[in-house]
Amino acid sequence: MSLARRNLVQDKTRFMLSVLGVALAVMLILILSGFLNGMYRQISAYLDHAPGSIVVAQDGVRNLLGATSLLPADMDSLVKTRGAAQVVPILSQFVILDLHDKKVPAYLVGYEPKIGGGPWQLAAGREPRNDKEAIFDRVLAQQHNLAIGDTVAILDRDFTLVGLSDRTASWMTSFVFVRKAALEALLRAPGATSFLLVTPSVRVGEDELRRRLSDRSSIEVTPKSTMIANDLNLYGGVFSGPLRLMVAIAFLVGTLVVGLVIYTATIERQREYGVLKAIGARNSLLYRTVTTQALIASSLGTLLGVALAFGIAQLIMTVQPQFLIVFETSAVIQALLLGLAMALFAAWVPARVITRLAPAEVFRK
Amino acid sequence: MTNATFQVSQVTKRYGVGSTEVTAVRNVSLSVAPGEVVLIMGPSGSGKTTLLLMLGALLKPTTGSIQLNGTVLSALAENRLPDIRLREFGFIFQDFNLLSALTVLENVAIVAELAGLKSRAARQKAAAILTDLGLGERLNFLPEKLSGGEKQRVAIARALVNDPALILADEPTANLDSKIGHEVMRLLRRIAKEQQRSVVIVSHDQRIKDIADRVLWLEDGQFKEVTTMAIDPVCGMSVEQEKAISTEWDGRTFYFCAKGCRDEFMTKPQR
Repeated sequence: MSLARRNLVQDKTRFMLSVLGVALAVMLILILSGFLNGMYRQISAYLDHAPGSIVVAQDGVRNLLGATSLLPADMDSLVKTRGAAQVVPILSQFVILDLHDKKVPAYLVGYEPKIGGGPWQLAAGREPRNDKEAIFDRVLAQQHNLAIGDTVAILDRDFTLVGLSDRTASWMTSFVFVRKAALEALLRAPGATSFLLVTPSVRVGEDELRRRLSDRSSIEVTPKSTMIANDLNLYGGVFSGPLRLMVAIAFLVGTLVVGLVIYTATIERQREYGVLKAIGARNSLLYRTVTTQALIASSLGTLLGVALAFGIAQLIMTVQPQFLIVFETSAVIQALLLGLAMALFAAWVPARVITRLAPAEVFRK
Repeated sequence: MTNATFQVSQVTKRYGVGSTEVTAVRNVSLSVAPGEVVLIMGPSGSGKTTLLLMLGALLKPTTGSIQLNGTVLSALAENRLPDIRLREFGFIFQDFNLLSALTVLENVAIVAELAGLKSRAARQKAAAILTDLGLGERLNFLPEKLSGGEKQRVAIARALVNDPALILADEPTANLDSKIGHEVMRLLRRIAKEQQRSVVIVSHDQRIKDIADRVLWLEDGQFKEVTTMAIDPVCGMSVEQEKAISTEWDGRTFYFCAKGCRDEFMTKPQR
């Protein structure tokens, strides 16, 4: 509507401030939720790409990243005989690496390259062929100026870097892969296995295999999807609360910015709205005018905010590649809806001012 | 062109109750014929604005009735009044009260659009009226770029755009200098006569008495004195009928500012 548009752009500075306010709020909302999505993706990345649909762990262990598991010996043979098509044993341990005098946490995975359970995508190099070779996450290596062929100390042994894995970075802990036997030696636990990544045979199926293993009290048999959910709960839960709070604050700030701008614009034009009412304009028209103003400001702000969020996210991920910011379509739609909600909330108070406006007041001096 | 009759009968407006009750307007009656210009004057606090608000269907009287073409406006439900105000009344304000973000053309067209005219037709109608009022060169100007007289002419155009039966003007010359104020009032009178629209003006300005057909004096909420104005047919001066020299000719009464004018008239009364 022309009046709404004209009212809005008449004071260009205020209009731009309101658009910018919404844009920053939307950008913050998108970046924070994108960061949360990225964090979830990083937490579940290993299991998402690991083989199998069942994870066998030590009794009581129901997540991969938050607990240490040590399975009884020969458990892989048992699982196989009970109906598994494939069993991938891995040994894993959180470790603190000493890289360039910096203590760096890492999740160390020991695996058998021929069976699986290692990196699912290599950015460069190859898989380890002996117990003195390792694969580092690409971002971790980049941050510490490590290149293929370099020697790096893991715990008390030196390894040669032979590969760089992709999509295994995390701002919390990145992945480092060695052969399972190498990690057994490092941990001085020959034959030790932390988890079995199990693919049930087609004939037996997942549920039946879990039932067949239920008689073994020393192990915990968990669907992989549940393991992932437990990991997300454990780590995501810690950060999602504060992040969601920040999203709510960003929404509030955006709403207040548009609200304040529309409110002051309405108060300043109170007399003009009164004149329109005296002339015969109905409240509905004035509501529409105020709401349209809020919608224009918040729509432009939202679009600018989405564009800014994509730009800033790229910048963050370039400068700090351990951070993953993932924009899902649903999050962008959510941001657009939030922009709409901001407009409606922002228009609410000014609309009430207009309702209370007595047209006769314009005749008072 | 309109043939509306505006009738105010025994209207009273009281504010407050009990010991705080104030009667702003007391048993006021008034009839305005099509094409008639009525000027209501009176001291501050006399009830002029309250009366104007009631005439414009912006305030309901406590007792009495206000009728326009037989419709009792004072009895209509609140939700019907905006339409009445939009189509039957034209308002002219002391401070012009133009919408600052809209151009001259849009300020007038928006009122026509409110009454249901399509945008294009509304703009055409607004442009025609504004051009007629001498603002053809100012259509795309913002109000802040106009002089006071131009702003008030835009306000008159806005008041006319929906062909109202009655134009209500609240201190229309208060923010204009004497010459421009008088020009604007003459314009309003011309419109009233040419288009047969009734005009009620509330003002303190004694200088505009000559454009009125009738001057009413409101004091303590009541009309104290009614002055009927007439134009001297010889010199064109506005005179109060009660105080003027008069003469009858051909069944009509003519009023003069002085004996000389009457004598001159009588030399050629059929002019």
